[in-house]
Amino acid sequence: MGTEEREVVLQAPLTINWAVNNSCNFACRHCYSREDSHDELGQELLLDCLRKAARAGVLSVNFGGGEPLLRRDLLQIASRCRELGLRISMNSNGWLIDAEMAAALKEAGFSKVGISIDSHLPELHDHFRGMPGSHARATEALMHLKHAGISTSISTVICRINCDSIDELVAFARETGAGQLNFHNFKCSGLGLAHKDELDLSPQEWKEFYQRAYAAKRSVSDLDISLDDPIIALLGERDTESMVKGSVCGKLSLNIKSNGDITPCGFIPVVIGNIVTDDLRRVWRESPLLDQMRHKQPTGKCSSCSKYAECLGGCTARALALTGELNAPDPHCWG
Amino acid sequence: MRTVKRNPDVLWREEDEVLAEARQALERGDDDAGELGTSVLFSGGTVLSLNILGTEIWQICQGLSIDEIVAEILTRFEVDEDELRGDVVAFLDDLEQKGFLSYGD
Repeated sequence: MGTEEREVVLQAPLTINWAVNNSCNFACRHCYSREDSHDELGQELLLDCLRKAARAGVLSVNFGGGEPLLRRDLLQIASRCRELGLRISMNSNGWLIDAEMAAALKEAGFSKVGISIDSHLPELHDHFRGMPGSHARATEALMHLKHAGISTSISTVICRINCDSIDELVAFARETGAGQLNFHNFKCSGLGLAHKDELDLSPQEWKEFYQRAYAAKRSVSDLDISLDDPIIALLGERDTESMVKGSVCGKLSLNIKSNGDITPCGFIPVVIGNIVTDDLRRVWRESPLLDQMRHKQPTGKCSSCSKYAECLGGCTARALALTGELNAPDPHCWG
Repeated sequence: MRTVKRNPDVLWREEDEVLAEARQALERGDDDAGELGTSVLFSGGTVLSLNILGTEIWQICQGLSIDEIVAEILTRFEVDEDELRGDVVAFLDDLEQKGFLSYGD
């Protein structure tokens, strides 16, 4: 009764990562969005677009930016999303989340909020994020959110500043009471590309990181450690029964920028439509780029790799950013 | 008596375009109807596609026992009862293992 072994193309994305603004109060060294447009959709237009997404069948929206809480009408927008039946979540730097804001986020219908924290060491995090005191505010935000009854996660972009601090990050996450710790593989987009030499790991270092991270994941039961990246298929760790192989971008999810531009994911800067003017299902069904991403072809070392069927060449965004070819092997691949 | 409790965190929807195609295939007596994914379930990073029978079971199973689910499905599909019972148990056990539902009293 499950048909999960057969490749299925959905009629619409399940979830959308939606940047509601591009303004930000931080200056993170790896930020993918600094070169994006700062144009924002006005409230009514944004709500029209969210209604359009809900009608198309989208089930959940994860708000981001910039820093989404710099948008003053975010709570109103979120409340209306709940009326549309959309499950809403958010990624934030935490700076603006005090007890009052956490309660307001709960009231507005947020089911989950992810807070970006890149180190257990305050000074290292503050320097990386370009904002003194940001680690303390982020940690407090987690506490306020938990007190307000919102599920929390910590988003950590793994790079050279923190790749050797897995145990410390896990311990830190457990102390904060976060429900989930997401270790995000470094994306070479925006400032991440500009600072790649300083921040990125070598393929061998990525292998060692994931081996240690999986050991940590297996050793804790009170914290969900998420390592979801297509490249983990190299370790045989991907859920082989899920209907989606490789990257989920363009297969389960889309990204929408603050000006309404639609891209396959936040780290692929190729615009495939605009939510203001275009029919979402049509974009989803007819985009040549999405079709290519759903039907990747192995090239280079992928052609002879036994893991390709699960991995599908790893992260398309990284391959595209560093080689210009979406079918190129993931530059982080250690195979 | 054990009853089914769907995980409230699961996101799911019917794929209405495929559902229409599957219903037409069933009316034609086409075996391919069972190969079409008429709904999609998403939870904890796992995405499952269910065929028309799996979708019907998922839609009705909340709070029902296996016997009740089988009885209801028999009113909607012409299938052998014993075979259906075995399929329903296997299907629900698989979803339970993946965290999409649980069993309660």
